[in-house]
Amino acid sequence: MKNFISILGTNSDHSTNRLLLQFIQKHFKDQANIEIFEIKDLPAFNKPEDRKAPHGVQELADKIREADGVIISSPEYNHSVPAALKSTLEWLSYTNQALIDKPVMLTGASYGKLGSSRAQSHLRQMLDAPELKARIMPSSEFLIGYSLQAFDDNGNLTDQRKIEALKRIFNDFVHFVDITNQLVNAKESQQKQAPSYSWEAK
Amino acid sequence: MKLVGIVGSNAAFSYNRLLLNFIAKNFKKLIDVEVLDIKDVPMFNQSDDQTNSEVIQNLNKKITEADGVIIATPEYNHSIPSALQSVLEWLSFKIHPLDGKPVMIVGASYDVQGSSRSQLHLRQILDAPGVNAVVMPGNEFLLGEVYEAFDENEDLKDAQTVQFLETCIKKFIRFINVVNVLQSPEGMKDLSDTEDLYATGAIDTTVEGIDMSADDWLEQAAEATQAVEGNTYVKLNRGLLTVNQLNYFLNSMPAELTYADSNNQFLYYNHHMEKEDMLAGRRPEQVGSPLAECHPERVFSGVSWVIQQLRSGKQDVVRTQVPTHGPDKFVVHSYQAVRDDNGNYLGINEYVQDIQPVIDWYLEQTGQQLTGGGVDAVSGATSKVDTVSGATAKA
Ligand SMILES: Cc1cc2nc3c(=O)[nH]c(=O)nc-3n(C[C@H](O)[C@H](O)[C@H](O)COP(=O)(O)O)c2cc1C
Ligand SMILES: Cc1cc2nc3c(=O)[nH]c(=O)nc-3n(C[C@H](O)[C@H](O)[C@H](O)COP(=O)(O)O)c2cc1C
Repeated sequence: MKNFISILGTNSDHSTNRLLLQFIQKHFKDQANIEIFEIKDLPAFNKPEDRKAPHGVQELADKIREADGVIISSPEYNHSVPAALKSTLEWLSYTNQALIDKPVMLTGASYGKLGSSRAQSHLRQMLDAPELKARIMPSSEFLIGYSLQAFDDNGNLTDQRKIEALKRIFNDFVHFVDITNQLVNAKESQQKQAPSYSWEAK
Repeated sequence: MKLVGIVGSNAAFSYNRLLLNFIAKNFKKLIDVEVLDIKDVPMFNQSDDQTNSEVIQNLNKKITEADGVIIATPEYNHSIPSALQSVLEWLSFKIHPLDGKPVMIVGASYDVQGSSRSQLHLRQILDAPGVNAVVMPGNEFLLGEVYEAFDENEDLKDAQTVQFLETCIKKFIRFINVVNVLQSPEGMKDLSDTEDLYATGAIDTTVEGIDMSADDWLEQAAEATQAVEGNTYVKLNRGLLTVNQLNYFLNSMPAELTYADSNNQFLYYNHHMEKEDMLAGRRPEQVGSPLAECHPERVFSGVSWVIQQLRSGKQDVVRTQVPTHGPDKFVVHSYQAVRDDNGNYLGINEYVQDIQPVIDWYLEQTGQQLTGGGVDAVSGATSKVDTVSGATAKA
């Protein structure tokens, strides 16, 4: 049984990405405990002088550290990642850097046909930045286009092929988490904890 | 030229703010930049619409009024900061002030790469349909290792960097003009630069080596080209006429006809009346002149706009009504694009007609009457027309 934390990438009250995460939580409950973290009450990022994370961000960081892996589900706003999710990542990168070396799986839903593909590619590039440096599962894209029509009244995905694709990716992720965590542990015992990166420490 | 500079950072101290302030200060002879901060803009939330808040409305108004926008973005985690992202979300949700706006991107960051990645993201974001800004291509101004870039007066230290920045700004000014031409609605800017009204170029039919302004340009040009005249036959599509027949035929047209070529040279009019008797006066000596010499300078912008409409293919004909001929006439100038079989722009056929007799005849024949608000030669004087040249004048 794995423990995952999932981050809902929007602050919106009504969200198809929330439906997607709830579906994943329910559908894979025999394989993993998945908590859904809401970012909507986190403050907007603004460089704090003391580099301290506000309460909610610290809570998220602790949950990330304890989890075996992280799932992020992002909508697409203007071909990119919504400001609310960007802000969350900025907090993490600027304060506790909790995502470093964490296995991450990405999903996304959007109203349009392309289902947030462009947002996901931006998100991958961001998670690759040195202050975040997450271990993103490669070659795995899970997108839901026309997301308003994708769920039935019970919050289940209606397209059976989508469910199959999700199963494959989720299973891959379970393995990916094991391999990645082994690799990271091996590295950590070899070298002492690598000094964390900071853009502004020049 | 009035520009708005948006600081893409909400940090209390921001190098990108320094950069925009420097641009405003150093290039004030070229551009008038108002630097706007975004730090008071709330986080975007789809479920909590704050479009009508003062900060967002202020940005909306300033951007809408500006000729162009410069956005200075830092790089946060290889993308643009959430603070800037949030502003762009507000400005693409219920309102769209950046739609069609010329935008230039600059950026300052700690890395040697100096915001290259965030600039690429920003381009893609500005290109999204809800934003739909017109971003200047190329001319990437990156300020890497920004903590070393400014001196104690907050000026950029490196002369070459300043030089490059100036080049980018100058290109942006030209870019704004080009975008305005492409999108030119009624409220025209000065567009006189968009057309070579002095006909300084040449096309393959231009008769070279003869002073276009000469009173006897026609005689000289006819000699140089050994042009035929009189009773010589000319084969046409489709028919055969002598030059004389062709002349009389064109003179019998119920309109004053003028041909100016795609080089903006006035080549022909169907001369059979004195200037004073014409609806739009022309003199024989004017033939051959560049269009600039046929119009007063104050209407150059309007003339250029008309030509651009035809040349670009946006319109095939631009019409305007000239109301100064009294209530008995309804005089219309039509600028009709002349194109070859492949649709290439060859020039303008301007035909000037009083269509009142046609309207009267139509009414008489059909027994109909005009009722209010319709075609009234006096009150219909709503068009933006310059009465001397007949060209559309600056709004
Ligand atoms: C400011 C803004 C920009 C948007 N831009 C895009 C976009 O570029 N592509 C897209 O597919 N949907 C776009 N959308 C629509 C989102 O896909 C839609 O809001 C989606 O449902 C968000 O995910 P959610 O249901 O989890 O909130 C945009 C929505 C907003 C509010
Ligand atoms: C959360 C965060 C992430 C950052 N990520 C990057 C980065 O990916 N690349 C970079 O060159 N600088 C990065 N920086 C450093 C910025 O370049 C630096 O803070 C810069 O001064 C920001 O511009 P400003 O002074 O206008 O706010 C980051 C800074 C913060 C606070």
